Amino acid sequence: MVQEFLSGFRRGSDAFAEFKNIIMQTESPSSPADVKPGTGPFDPKRWVDEHGDFLFKYALLRLRDPTRAEDAVQETFLAALKGGKSFDGRRAEQSWLVGILKNKIYDHFRKARRETSFTDLEFYDDEEGNRFTAGGVSKGGWIHELGPQKWSRQVESLDSELFWKTYHDCSAKLPKKVASVFNLREVDGMETKDICALLDISAGNLWVMLHRARMALRGCLEINWFSKQN
Amino acid sequence: MNFWRKLISGCEALSLDCCTASRAQSERLDHPLPRAKRVGLWLHLAICKWCRRYGKQIRFLREAAHEHPEELAKAAPQNLSVEARDRIKRRLSENN
Repeated sequence: MVQEFLSGFRRGSDAFAEFKNIIMQTESPSSPADVKPGTGPFDPKRWVDEHGDFLFKYALLRLRDPTRAEDAVQETFLAALKGGKSFDGRRAEQSWLVGILKNKIYDHFRKARRETSFTDLEFYDDEEGNRFTAGGVSKGGWIHELGPQKWSRQVESLDSELFWKTYHDCSAKLPKKVASVFNLREVDGMETKDICALLDISAGNLWVMLHRARMALRGCLEINWFSKQN
Repeated sequence: MNFWRKLISGCEALSLDCCTASRAQSERLDHPLPRAKRVGLWLHLAICKWCRRYGKQIRFLREAAHEHPEELAKAAPQNLSVEARDRIKRRLSENN
Protein backbone atom coordinates (compact mmCIF):
# COMPACT_ATOMS: atom_id res chain seq x y z
CA MET A 1 0.00 0.00 0.00
CA VAL A 2 2.82 2.35 0.99
CA GLN A 3 4.75 1.14 -2.08
CA GLU A 4 1.87 2.00 -4.34
CA PHE A 5 1.63 5.44 -2.83
CA LEU A 6 5.37 6.00 -3.25
CA SER A 7 5.42 4.85 -6.89
CA GLY A 8 2.39 6.98 -7.59
CA PHE A 9 4.16 9.89 -5.98
CA ARG A 10 7.26 9.22 -8.06
CA ARG A 11 5.22 9.06 -11.23
CA GLY A 12 3.53 12.28 -10.31
CA SER A 13 6.79 14.06 -9.63
CA ASP A 14 8.27 12.76 -12.92
CA ALA A 15 5.27 14.11 -14.75
CA PHE A 16 5.65 17.43 -12.96
CA ALA A 17 9.34 17.58 -13.96
CA GLU A 18 8.38 16.96 -17.58
CA PHE A 19 5.73 19.66 -17.39
CA LYS A 20 8.26 22.07 -15.95
CA ASN A 21 10.67 21.25 -18.77
CA ILE A 22 8.06 21.98 -21.38
CA ILE A 23 7.16 25.27 -19.77
CA MET A 24 10.78 26.29 -19.37
CA GLN A 25 11.51 25.06 -22.93
CA THR A 26 14.53 23.06 -21.91
CA GLU A 27 15.05 19.58 -23.26
CA SER A 28 14.60 16.61 -20.94
CA PRO A 29 18.06 15.15 -20.28
CA SER A 30 16.86 11.56 -20.58
CA SER A 31 18.22 10.90 -24.07
CA PRO A 32 21.85 11.88 -24.67
CA ALA A 33 21.29 11.89 -28.39
CA ASP A 34 19.02 14.90 -28.03
CA VAL A 35 21.37 17.04 -25.94
CA LYS A 36 21.82 20.42 -27.58
CA PRO A 37 24.96 20.67 -29.71
CA GLY A 38 27.85 22.76 -28.44
CA THR A 39 26.91 26.36 -28.00
CA GLY A 40 29.04 29.30 -28.95
CA PRO A 41 30.34 30.18 -32.40
CA PHE A 42 29.55 27.86 -35.30
CA ASP A 43 32.12 25.05 -35.21
CA PRO A 44 32.24 22.71 -38.22
CA LYS A 45 35.09 20.70 -36.68
CA ARG A 46 32.63 19.49 -34.07
CA TRP A 47 30.61 17.97 -36.91
CA VAL A 48 33.57 15.85 -37.93
CA ASP A 49 34.00 14.54 -34.41
CA GLU A 50 30.32 13.95 -33.76
CA HIS A 51 29.13 12.71 -37.15
CA GLY A 52 32.23 11.77 -39.14
CA ASP A 53 32.24 8.08 -38.28
CA PHE A 54 28.54 7.54 -38.87
CA LEU A 55 28.57 9.36 -42.21
CA PHE A 56 31.64 7.41 -43.28
CA LYS A 57 30.02 4.07 -42.42
CA TYR A 58 26.86 5.13 -44.25
CA ALA A 59 28.79 6.10 -47.36
CA LEU A 60 31.01 3.01 -47.24
CA LEU A 61 27.97 0.73 -47.20
CA ARG A 62 26.83 2.21 -50.48
CA LEU A 63 30.03 3.09 -52.28
CA ARG A 64 32.12 0.09 -51.10
CA ASP A 65 35.32 2.07 -51.46
CA PRO A 66 36.96 3.82 -48.48
CA THR A 67 38.52 6.57 -50.60
CA ARG A 68 35.26 7.38 -52.32
CA ALA A 69 33.46 7.26 -48.98
CA GLU A 70 35.95 9.74 -47.48
CA ASP A 71 35.46 12.06 -50.46
CA ALA A 72 31.71 11.90 -50.10
CA VAL A 73 31.94 12.72 -46.39
CA GLN A 74 34.26 15.66 -47.08
CA GLU A 75 31.97 17.01 -49.78
CA THR A 76 29.04 16.65 -47.43
CA PHE A 77 30.67 18.74 -44.73
CA LEU A 78 31.76 21.38 -47.23
CA ALA A 79 28.24 21.65 -48.61
CA ALA A 80 26.81 21.73 -45.11
CA LEU A 81 29.16 24.58 -44.25
CA LYS A 82 27.58 26.68 -46.99
CA GLY A 83 24.15 25.79 -45.64
CA GLY A 84 25.09 27.08 -42.20
CA LYS A 85 22.04 25.81 -40.37
CA SER A 86 21.85 25.27 -36.66
CA PHE A 87 19.79 22.53 -35.09
CA ASP A 88 17.84 21.77 -32.03
CA GLY A 89 19.38 18.44 -31.23
CA ARG A 90 21.94 16.02 -32.54
CA ARG A 91 19.49 13.71 -34.28
CA ALA A 92 18.05 16.47 -36.45
CA GLU A 93 21.55 17.60 -37.34
CA GLN A 94 22.55 14.05 -38.32
CA SER A 95 19.41 13.58 -40.45
CA TRP A 96 20.18 16.77 -42.32
CA LEU A 97 23.80 15.75 -42.95
CA VAL A 98 22.69 12.30 -44.11
CA GLY A 99 20.34 14.00 -46.58
CA ILE A 100 23.24 15.92 -48.08
CA LEU A 101 25.43 12.80 -48.05
CA LYS A 102 22.82 10.81 -49.98
CA ASN A 103 22.95 13.32 -52.82
CA LYS A 104 26.75 13.26 -52.86
CA ILE A 105 26.59 9.47 -53.07
CA TYR A 106 24.20 9.64 -56.01
CA ASP A 107 26.55 12.12 -57.70
CA HIS A 108 29.35 9.59 -57.29
CA PHE A 109 27.23 6.89 -58.93
CA ARG A 110 26.43 9.18 -61.85
CA LYS A 111 30.10 9.90 -62.32
CA ALA A 112 31.09 6.24 -61.96
CA ARG A 113 28.67 5.00 -64.60
CA ARG A 114 30.45 7.08 -67.20
CA GLU A 115 33.74 5.49 -66.25
CA THR A 116 32.85 1.80 -66.17
CA SER A 117 30.00 -0.46 -67.05
CA PHE A 118 27.93 -1.14 -64.02
CA THR A 119 26.71 -4.71 -64.37
CA ASP A 120 28.65 -7.30 -62.43
CA LEU A 121 28.89 -9.96 -65.08
CA GLU A 122 30.95 -12.24 -62.83
CA PHE A 123 28.10 -12.47 -60.39
CA TYR A 124 25.96 -14.05 -63.08
CA ASP A 125 27.83 -17.21 -62.30
CA ASP A 126 25.01 -18.32 -60.07
CA GLU A 127 26.30 -19.96 -56.89
CA GLU A 128 22.95 -19.75 -55.22
CA GLY A 129 21.38 -21.58 -58.14
CA ASN A 130 23.01 -24.71 -56.78
CA ARG A 131 20.24 -24.89 -54.24
CA PHE A 132 17.81 -26.24 -56.84
CA THR A 133 17.70 -29.69 -58.43
CA ALA A 134 19.10 -29.75 -61.92
CA GLY A 135 17.01 -32.57 -63.30
CA GLY A 136 14.76 -35.51 -62.55
CA VAL A 137 11.14 -35.51 -61.57
CA SER A 138 11.24 -32.44 -59.37
CA LYS A 139 13.43 -30.38 -61.64
CA GLY A 140 13.91 -26.88 -60.35
CA GLY A 141 12.73 -27.77 -56.87
CA TRP A 142 14.64 -26.90 -53.69
CA ILE A 143 17.25 -29.48 -52.74
CA HIS A 144 15.73 -30.44 -49.40
CA GLU A 145 18.63 -29.83 -47.04
CA LEU A 146 19.33 -26.51 -48.73
CA GLY A 147 15.77 -25.24 -48.79
CA PRO A 148 14.66 -22.33 -46.60
CA GLN A 149 14.54 -23.36 -42.95
CA LYS A 150 12.15 -22.06 -40.31
CA TRP A 151 13.41 -18.87 -38.73
CA SER A 152 12.70 -18.30 -35.07
CA ARG A 153 12.92 -15.08 -33.05
CA GLN A 154 12.81 -12.90 -36.14
CA VAL A 155 11.45 -9.83 -34.42
CA GLU A 156 13.75 -10.18 -31.42
CA SER A 157 16.73 -10.32 -33.75
CA LEU A 158 16.05 -6.77 -34.85
CA ASP A 159 17.06 -5.58 -31.38
CA SER A 160 20.38 -7.37 -31.41
CA GLU A 161 23.60 -5.56 -32.30
CA LEU A 162 25.15 -8.87 -33.25
CA PHE A 163 22.33 -9.53 -35.70
CA TRP A 164 23.03 -6.23 -37.44
CA LYS A 165 26.73 -7.00 -37.53
CA THR A 166 25.88 -10.34 -39.18
CA TYR A 167 23.54 -8.61 -41.63
CA HIS A 168 26.26 -6.11 -42.45
CA ASP A 169 28.92 -8.79 -42.90
CA CYS A 170 26.60 -10.81 -45.14
CA SER A 171 25.90 -7.83 -47.37
CA ALA A 172 29.62 -7.04 -47.43
CA LYS A 173 30.13 -10.43 -49.09
CA LEU A 174 28.05 -9.35 -52.07
CA PRO A 175 29.97 -8.11 -55.10
CA LYS A 176 30.40 -4.33 -54.95
CA LYS A 177 27.90 -3.31 -57.56
CA VAL A 178 25.26 -5.76 -56.48
CA ALA A 179 25.63 -4.51 -52.92
CA SER A 180 25.20 -0.90 -54.03
CA VAL A 181 22.06 -1.80 -55.93
CA PHE A 182 20.71 -3.74 -52.98
CA ASN A 183 21.29 -0.78 -50.67
CA LEU A 184 19.66 1.71 -52.98
CA ARG A 185 16.58 -0.45 -53.39
CA GLU A 186 16.08 -2.12 -50.04
CA VAL A 187 17.58 0.35 -47.58
CA ASP A 188 16.93 3.67 -49.33
CA GLY A 189 13.73 2.48 -51.02
CA MET A 190 14.65 4.06 -54.34
CA GLU A 191 12.23 3.26 -57.19
CA THR A 192 13.39 0.79 -59.85
CA LYS A 193 13.25 3.30 -62.66
CA ASP A 194 15.29 5.83 -60.68
CA ILE A 195 18.00 3.29 -59.92
CA CYS A 196 18.13 2.37 -63.62
CA ALA A 197 18.50 6.03 -64.54
CA LEU A 198 21.12 6.68 -61.88
CA LEU A 199 23.30 3.70 -62.74
CA ASP A 200 22.50 3.46 -66.45
CA ILE A 201 21.42 -0.17 -66.32
CA SER A 202 18.40 -1.90 -67.77
CA ALA A 203 15.47 -2.96 -65.63
CA GLY A 204 16.15 -6.61 -66.51
CA ASN A 205 19.73 -6.34 -65.23
CA LEU A 206 18.54 -4.65 -62.09
CA TRP A 207 16.01 -7.36 -61.30
CA VAL A 208 18.54 -10.13 -61.78
CA MET A 209 21.03 -8.37 -59.51
CA LEU A 210 18.40 -7.85 -56.83
CA HIS A 211 17.25 -11.47 -57.06
CA ARG A 212 20.81 -12.72 -56.66
CA ALA A 213 21.44 -10.30 -53.78
CA ARG A 214 18.30 -11.31 -51.91
CA MET A 215 18.97 -14.98 -52.38
CA ALA A 216 22.59 -14.73 -51.25
CA LEU A 217 21.75 -12.53 -48.28
CA ARG A 218 18.93 -14.80 -47.14
CA GLY A 219 21.19 -17.83 -47.37
CA CYS A 220 24.03 -16.16 -45.53
CA LEU A 221 21.83 -14.92 -42.70
CA GLU A 222 20.24 -18.33 -42.37
CA ILE A 223 23.61 -20.04 -41.95
CA ASN A 224 25.21 -17.39 -39.78
CA TRP A 225 22.34 -16.23 -37.63
CA PHE A 226 18.96 -17.92 -37.77
CA SER A 227 20.20 -21.48 -37.68
CA LYS A 228 21.89 -20.59 -34.38
CA GLN A 229 18.81 -19.07 -32.76
CA ASN A 230 16.62 -21.02 -30.45
CA MET B 1 -13.44 -36.94 -65.61
CA ASN B 2 -11.80 -35.51 -68.68
CA PHE B 3 -12.52 -32.01 -67.45
CA TRP B 4 -10.71 -32.55 -64.15
CA ARG B 5 -7.74 -34.10 -65.87
CA LYS B 6 -7.53 -31.14 -68.19
CA LEU B 7 -7.82 -28.73 -65.29
CA ILE B 8 -5.03 -30.40 -63.35
CA SER B 9 -2.69 -30.57 -66.33
CA GLY B 10 -3.52 -26.95 -67.08
CA CYS B 11 -2.53 -26.00 -63.55
CA GLU B 12 0.65 -28.04 -63.81
CA ALA B 13 1.55 -26.29 -67.05
CA LEU B 14 1.02 -22.84 -65.58
CA SER B 15 2.62 -23.53 -62.23
CA LEU B 16 6.20 -22.45 -61.73
CA ASP B 17 9.01 -24.52 -60.28
CA CYS B 18 10.80 -23.39 -57.12
CA CYS B 19 13.71 -21.87 -58.97
CA THR B 20 11.44 -19.74 -61.16
CA ALA B 21 9.12 -19.03 -58.26
CA SER B 22 11.90 -17.65 -56.10
CA ARG B 23 12.90 -15.34 -58.93
CA ALA B 24 9.26 -14.29 -59.37
CA GLN B 25 8.87 -13.57 -55.64
CA SER B 26 11.92 -11.34 -55.80
CA GLU B 27 10.69 -9.52 -58.89
CA ARG B 28 7.30 -9.05 -57.30
CA LEU B 29 9.01 -6.77 -54.78
CA ASP B 30 10.12 -4.50 -57.60
CA HIS B 31 7.39 -4.54 -60.23
CA PRO B 32 3.96 -6.07 -60.90
CA LEU B 33 4.21 -9.50 -62.50
CA PRO B 34 2.53 -10.32 -65.80
CA ARG B 35 -0.74 -12.18 -65.25
CA ALA B 36 0.38 -15.64 -66.35
CA LYS B 37 3.32 -15.52 -64.00
CA ARG B 38 1.15 -14.20 -61.17
CA VAL B 39 -1.24 -17.14 -61.55
CA GLY B 40 1.61 -19.62 -61.87
CA LEU B 41 3.21 -18.25 -58.73
CA TRP B 42 -0.05 -18.38 -56.81
CA LEU B 43 -0.58 -21.99 -57.84
CA HIS B 44 2.93 -22.93 -56.81
CA LEU B 45 2.79 -21.17 -53.45
CA ALA B 46 -0.45 -22.99 -52.69
CA ILE B 47 1.44 -26.26 -52.56
CA CYS B 48 5.05 -25.37 -51.73
CA LYS B 49 5.86 -24.46 -48.15
CA TRP B 50 9.57 -23.89 -48.92
CA CYS B 51 8.75 -21.16 -51.38
CA ARG B 52 6.20 -19.64 -49.03
CA ARG B 53 8.95 -19.45 -46.45
CA TYR B 54 11.35 -17.97 -48.96
CA GLY B 55 8.93 -15.16 -49.81
CA LYS B 56 8.33 -14.33 -46.16
CA GLN B 57 12.03 -14.31 -45.43
CA ILE B 58 13.07 -11.98 -48.22
CA ARG B 59 10.25 -9.64 -47.30
CA PHE B 60 11.40 -9.70 -43.68
CA LEU B 61 14.97 -8.84 -44.70
CA ARG B 62 13.76 -5.99 -46.88
CA GLU B 63 11.64 -4.50 -44.11
CA ALA B 64 14.43 -4.95 -41.60
CA ALA B 65 16.91 -3.05 -43.76
CA HIS B 66 14.39 -0.36 -44.65
CA GLU B 67 13.23 0.28 -41.10
CA HIS B 68 16.68 0.17 -39.49
CA PRO B 69 19.14 1.97 -41.78
CA GLU B 70 21.00 3.42 -38.77
CA GLU B 71 21.64 0.08 -37.10
CA LEU B 72 22.89 -1.32 -40.39
CA ALA B 73 25.22 1.61 -40.98
CA LYS B 74 26.52 1.54 -37.41
CA ALA B 75 27.37 -2.17 -37.78
CA ALA B 76 30.16 -1.36 -40.22
CA PRO B 77 33.43 -1.88 -38.37
CA GLN B 78 35.42 0.78 -40.19
CA ASN B 79 35.71 4.31 -38.86
CA LEU B 80 36.85 7.49 -40.51
CA SER B 81 40.65 7.26 -40.35
CA VAL B 82 42.54 9.76 -38.21
CA GLU B 83 44.31 11.01 -41.30
CA ALA B 84 41.05 11.57 -43.17
CA ARG B 85 39.51 13.21 -40.14
CA ASP B 86 42.37 15.74 -39.90
CA ARG B 87 42.36 16.37 -43.61
CA ILE B 88 38.64 17.13 -43.60
CA LYS B 89 38.96 19.44 -40.60
CA ARG B 90 41.72 21.34 -42.38
CA ARG B 91 39.60 21.77 -45.51
CA LEU B 92 36.71 23.00 -43.43
CA SER B 93 38.93 25.58 -41.68
CA GLU B 94 40.20 26.82 -45.04
CA ASN B 95 36.67 27.29 -46.26
CA ASN B 96 35.14 28.78 -43.14
